[in-house]
Amino acid sequence: MPGYYDISDILMEDEAVSVAFHVGANGVGLLDPGTETNSVEKGAKIDLPFWLAHELCRRRAVSITIPSCFGQKMKKDVQADAACVDLGTRYPYFYEFGCKLFPLVGDKSIGLFLRHTFANRYKEMLSKSHTASLNAIPKFVLRLSKEEYQLFEAARSSMVEFKKWRVRDLGLMKTTIVGHKRKTDLH
Amino acid sequence: MAGQTDHSISIFSAAEVEFIAEDEMIEIVPNIRMDALNLLCGDFGPFVPQIPCTVPLWLAVALKKRGKCSIRTPDWMSVEKLTQVLEAERESPREFQPLPFHYVEISRLLLDHAHDDIPEVYMVRSLIEDIRNVRFHKVESGLETISGRTHAVKLKNLSAMEVNLVRPFMARVLQAFYKHDSPEMVQQADTSASKRPQVVDRGPRRDLRPR
Repeated sequence: MPGYYDISDILMEDEAVSVAFHVGANGVGLLDPGTETNSVEKGAKIDLPFWLAHELCRRRAVSITIPSCFGQKMKKDVQADAACVDLGTRYPYFYEFGCKLFPLVGDKSIGLFLRHTFANRYKEMLSKSHTASLNAIPKFVLRLSKEEYQLFEAARSSMVEFKKWRVRDLGLMKTTIVGHKRKTDLH
Repeated sequence: MAGQTDHSISIFSAAEVEFIAEDEMIEIVPNIRMDALNLLCGDFGPFVPQIPCTVPLWLAVALKKRGKCSIRTPDWMSVEKLTQVLEAERESPREFQPLPFHYVEISRLLLDHAHDDIPEVYMVRSLIEDIRNVRFHKVESGLETISGRTHAVKLKNLSAMEVNLVRPFMARVLQAFYKHDSPEMVQQADTSASKRPQVVDRGPRRDLRPR
């Protein structure tokens, strides 16, 4: 079970997944807006929040279908350019959700797909996060999932703090005498 | 402070690293006469004018502020040595040159308080800046090669302040990679053995990354 008190876990588990019921269920017709009786038919396809789907799946009452965020279209997007995929607005809990979903669903390729996405975006993020300043929020930050955003934030705040320390109690900016930016061509 | 919400990754603020750096010993030339100081951390001998002696950096800076001594620049901070180090840094794209562990903090303190004691202070300042930039670029490019198989990243000869800079980011990245990689045993990731040796130096294992 995830961290019980962890807010982001709680929020993440609220994502909806589409499930197919293996058994009929009485008294929970609320879940299916299409039924007339107060029950759910066997074989019905319903959208449930993940926390509910997870429990029911453990009891083998439902089977979860893979949501669209791990589907073919997403895979194509990632292959085209992983760094441009907008995880921040569409699926902020992309990685966490994938990790939770992975053992429940038959598709083994999700794990690899997650890792592949993360590795590609990470390279892009690495350089940008260290050089970002305090005020300017580069556009790509909006595209990061929650987990990536924390990485970015950690790097940026430690850079900013270091810079503040350098100019502390001087009042002047410490700049190098050589004004131009020296390109470090090491490769 | 960065990373305070995440208790598993504790970091130092830059000022704290500087505080630790102030314990380094440095040579001064006092210009007053003073009795020996018997402190918990050691005894610092009677100060006689014009006779050099070794004291911790915090003491040297304190005396300098009161005008009671002049600080002798450490050997590694001469223009020739720094130019050598800079050239060597530029030439080897993977290795870091050996520099004193706290060179950033020591140089900053000395440049702030004792700039009249250092010959060619502007040259020294710009050289140290350049060295710092080159090393940091190396760190960044080294981090790019982290894959799922990385247990730890070994960065030899990195200084205290540089380590502190990348510590929260790197720790989280390693955790994230570990989390993503655990079920996928089939993936034969490339261990970049040619670039950086991987040393097993890991903290407690976790399956889910606590936030």
